[in-house]
Amino acid sequence: MRRIALATAAPGQILAEKLTRHDGVLLANQGAEVTEGLLRMLARQNVETIMVEESDSRTPEEVMADYQRFRDDLDTRFVRADSQPVLMALKKTMIFIAEKDRDETLALLAPLPSADPAGSAVSPPQG
Amino acid sequence: MSPPVVQDRLQAKKEVRRIKNLPTVPGIVAKISRMVENPETSAAEVGRLISQDQVLSAKVLRMANSAFFGMSRKISSISQALVILGFDVVKGLVLTSSVFDMIQKSMAGLWEHSIGCAAASGAVATLLGRDDAEEILVAGLLHDLGKVVLALNLPEEMKIVREKVASGPVLFYEAENELLDFDHCDLGQWLAEHWNLPESLAEPMRLHHKPEKAVLKPECTAIVHMADIIIRAKGFGNAGDILVPPISMAAWEMLGLRRTDFLPILEILEPKLASLCDLTSIN
Repeated sequence: MRRIALATAAPGQILAEKLTRHDGVLLANQGAEVTEGLLRMLARQNVETIMVEESDSRTPEEVMADYQRFRDDLDTRFVRADSQPVLMALKKTMIFIAEKDRDETLALLAPLPSADPAGSAVSPPQG
Repeated sequence: MSPPVVQDRLQAKKEVRRIKNLPTVPGIVAKISRMVENPETSAAEVGRLISQDQVLSAKVLRMANSAFFGMSRKISSISQALVILGFDVVKGLVLTSSVFDMIQKSMAGLWEHSIGCAAASGAVATLLGRDDAEEILVAGLLHDLGKVVLALNLPEEMKIVREKVASGPVLFYEAENELLDFDHCDLGQWLAEHWNLPESLAEPMRLHHKPEKAVLKPECTAIVHMADIIIRAKGFGNAGDILVPPISMAAWEMLGLRRTDFLPILEILEPKLASLCDLTSIN
């Protein structure tokens, strides 16, 4: 997700967070699609920026390459953490989240179900 | 490699005391502190003082309305911020806004690390159900102020520390202690003394790498310690080295955290980090 100026928002984008007026009144829900009407209404309410979901234009190969880069960077950052089980639990949790994101992205890019492209997923630490 | 200009802790402390540009900016913080000590002072009076500086007020309001605090209603004045967030938080935001330019100029990525650590401090504090999450968040924001002093006022020392860090898997504070006999935590402590900062900010600045030694604000310091680890693990911003530092098990146990808590902490943190991208330039 990213924050953009209302002036640069376009119909079809998806709101990544709910929008409320200064007095707390709800203007639009998270997940709502941006329409011309919504943009006009938000401009009337003096909303200057909105948070939108980013569309993913990567290929499956690029998604896998990004994931691999994430794992390599993570290994570098945790290079001195091997002897600390709590830190390794943090690392394992981060891998779990990244694998979930990767698999969700791949599922959106290729809606037809296929064999798990990345092998077995890591589960978050227990206890 | 050039020899360090500052050879010992005493000389380094003198260097910090000679810093000309740092104390002038937070003068407003000292004024606020004096006003707050007076029980007769109202939020409106403190608000008026801060509001005299329009640029500063705008920066403070931008942070007060950022994803840090997740306010459902927009805070539109300093007086309102004082009522909703409290004196200490607004004072911390004034201080942060005052030194923002210095943080940005000192080291590429340090501001991002600072706001990331603040957001992570807030996430841990929220998970723990702390009612002082906002104060802890500000402590996370300012925990590495000692690095700003090192970069801006002791550039030769900064250079050799960076060379050492670039040579292998060495933590920034390890390189500082090996080469200089002091580190950014000491610099933060001396600065905090000089500026007369409250312990809720001073102790995390001094002890975020040794939280087990904290006496006055041990839990706040332990949370900033954990937040620093988490944000470095995520690789968000630049703390001066790329490593995840060792965890203090005493701090971990004191907070009563469990390994399964990392998942909800990261789930709280992730959207906040995405929302905070507009704070990477608050000018």
